[in-house]
Amino acid sequence: MKAFLVAFGVGVVLAGATGAQAYHRFWANCNYDAPTFMTTMTRDAAQDYANAARYEGYQWGGGCWNYDDADSYPYDAPGDPSAHGEGGDCSGLTFKTWRESTDTWRDGRYYWRALRNVHGPYTAGDFKSGLGAPNHVVAKSTAGVMDAFASSTHIGMIFYRSLYGGDQIVEAKCEACGTNIFYRTYRSDPNYGGVARWGWTG
Amino acid sequence: MRRPGIRSLAGGAAGIVAGVIGGIALTSVSAASGPTPAAPEIDAAHTPPVLTRAGEPVTLRYAIVCAPRDDGEPCDGSGSLFVRAGQSGPFQQLTLRRGEDSSGGRYFVDLPRGIASSRAGFSYYATLRDGASGATITVPAGGDAAPQRSVPLLDAPEVVLGAHAFGRDRAPDERVVAAAWGGEVGEAGVVGSRELGFVGPSSFDVAADGSVTVLDQVNARVQHWSRAGVRATSLEVSGGLADFALEPGGVMDVLEPPSRASPAPILRSFRADGTPRWAQRLSDRTWAKLAAGPAGPVVQQQPSEQWVPVAANGTALDRAAQAGQGRPGRPFANGREVVVERVGSGELRLAELVGNGVVCSWRIISATPLGEVQLAEPHGTRLVVVTKTFTDNRSEYVVLVLDRSGIVNSFALESLEWAESAPLARFRLAGSLLYRLGSTRAGLFVDRFDVEVSR
Repeated sequence: MKAFLVAFGVGVVLAGATGAQAYHRFWANCNYDAPTFMTTMTRDAAQDYANAARYEGYQWGGGCWNYDDADSYPYDAPGDPSAHGEGGDCSGLTFKTWRESTDTWRDGRYYWRALRNVHGPYTAGDFKSGLGAPNHVVAKSTAGVMDAFASSTHIGMIFYRSLYGGDQIVEAKCEACGTNIFYRTYRSDPNYGGVARWGWTG
Repeated sequence: MRRPGIRSLAGGAAGIVAGVIGGIALTSVSAASGPTPAAPEIDAAHTPPVLTRAGEPVTLRYAIVCAPRDDGEPCDGSGSLFVRAGQSGPFQQLTLRRGEDSSGGRYFVDLPRGIASSRAGFSYYATLRDGASGATITVPAGGDAAPQRSVPLLDAPEVVLGAHAFGRDRAPDERVVAAAWGGEVGEAGVVGSRELGFVGPSSFDVAADGSVTVLDQVNARVQHWSRAGVRATSLEVSGGLADFALEPGGVMDVLEPPSRASPAPILRSFRADGTPRWAQRLSDRTWAKLAAGPAGPVVQQQPSEQWVPVAANGTALDRAAQAGQGRPGRPFANGREVVVERVGSGELRLAELVGNGVVCSWRIISATPLGEVQLAEPHGTRLVVVTKTFTDNRSEYVVLVLDRSGIVNSFALESLEWAESAPLARFRLAGSLLYRLGSTRAGLFVDRFDVEVSR
């Protein structure tokens, strides 16, 4: 019994310091439920959805978060999808907010709950090019609420336009930045293009 | 040493397995439970029409943002607008209507003509409510103490820029800072990769004597360039894309963005030697620009879309005190404030106010889309404006020097922004000298241009 107890303690320590723990980190709370097919998709519901992901962190290649207003694993190694931390990355957040399908040829509306772990098939560069049936490019000067600006490495959605000509952008930009709303000047940045989702209903 | 028996070995192995499983389970439970999942607070967005044209109909639109519904539909919002003609007196309550389209804000009020066309302008605030949670928010947060203020463009000259001719950029009069990327004194920090993009020094400021201070947040320091050379001062900053302002006496203000460690923006004040003075959370959730005002640092914020003081006479203001002093324009030492409104794709409205009265105003129309306004500051009897003009794959800055009759001087500057900086931190004005923070693959630079000289 003594050996068991000592070894049990060692095991608990190991669980906290090994790859086994990493694999079962935040993603252990996520699910793989089917999305809900929707006939509606409004820009303000998209604002609600993206805004609720604020403070929930960033995970490269991720797409799963809860609503506790904190990043459960804020110091994951940047660019490491195996960290399995909380939060989406830029394209994962956009994919879920825009209610897209994992099949690039489908342009229907699929509502993914926050804890549904899905990133979607698109990179920021894919969005910039308007790849996928639900997506298309738009002139930057006309991009509006919950349209997006995408570069080859990043995408952020327009939460609202602002007085000084920049935009409030809701985005998951980096591990240290988390997911939040930032004032950005992507609209006038030649590295960024305008991109939008077909099918808004209001 | 006694050799372990089979039972001890088996017990130990079982213990390790049980321990690992237990540890993983504990970690998962900890991550899953943590703080009880909570619906986010209600939030809002609104772009106030701070400068209106005579006879222009005014519709005030609000986005009400609340916890996402499980059925995927938008929240069940409502709200009231409290509005008055002019800038003082009692407010009249109007109920916001709920529209079918949310692209500009689903909740709106068409202002009565008598209010919208008042020669003294109008002022207002809104109280917005989420029907599901009962949560409310007032926009701007200062409510009746610091409402949105809108004033008419009176006798504003119309400045027509036409289509922008790219490639006719003005060369700098002098390059006052040139720093290779690196961590040594005289170098500038950069982080990132070709895949993810690069972030360099995020902001800078210029003292009255022409010395330049660059916020080198990547290296947790500022660097001062003057005729005596360059010196570095360490600062405890997060390393995020922060804005920066110098106050008289060498006090330094660093406006930090939200981060994983601090989900709300914070203004940090430092003494000239880099020791911290205080740190204060902003009243709003988002910031666009930091500036040194006559009494201390002021920040242009959202959702209020106001310039809000964060400290006064060296003392930080709490969030309520900040919100209670929001103004539509940036205050300057000459007692005036400058109000800016970008409208549509190619219109820019500007006004100088004394109190709530317009002293002079301008309406600028460009056939090429206009982006952000980097700078709008008085220079004597003139106003210096730096804005960006862009197409889908090109951009340049346009510098305008305006007087009451229109354009006195104008020129274009190439966008040299290899590394990212804070959004509205690329230009500073000191007297007639305009300074520009830029970067290339080789490093950071600050260029100087005399706005009174035509080239």
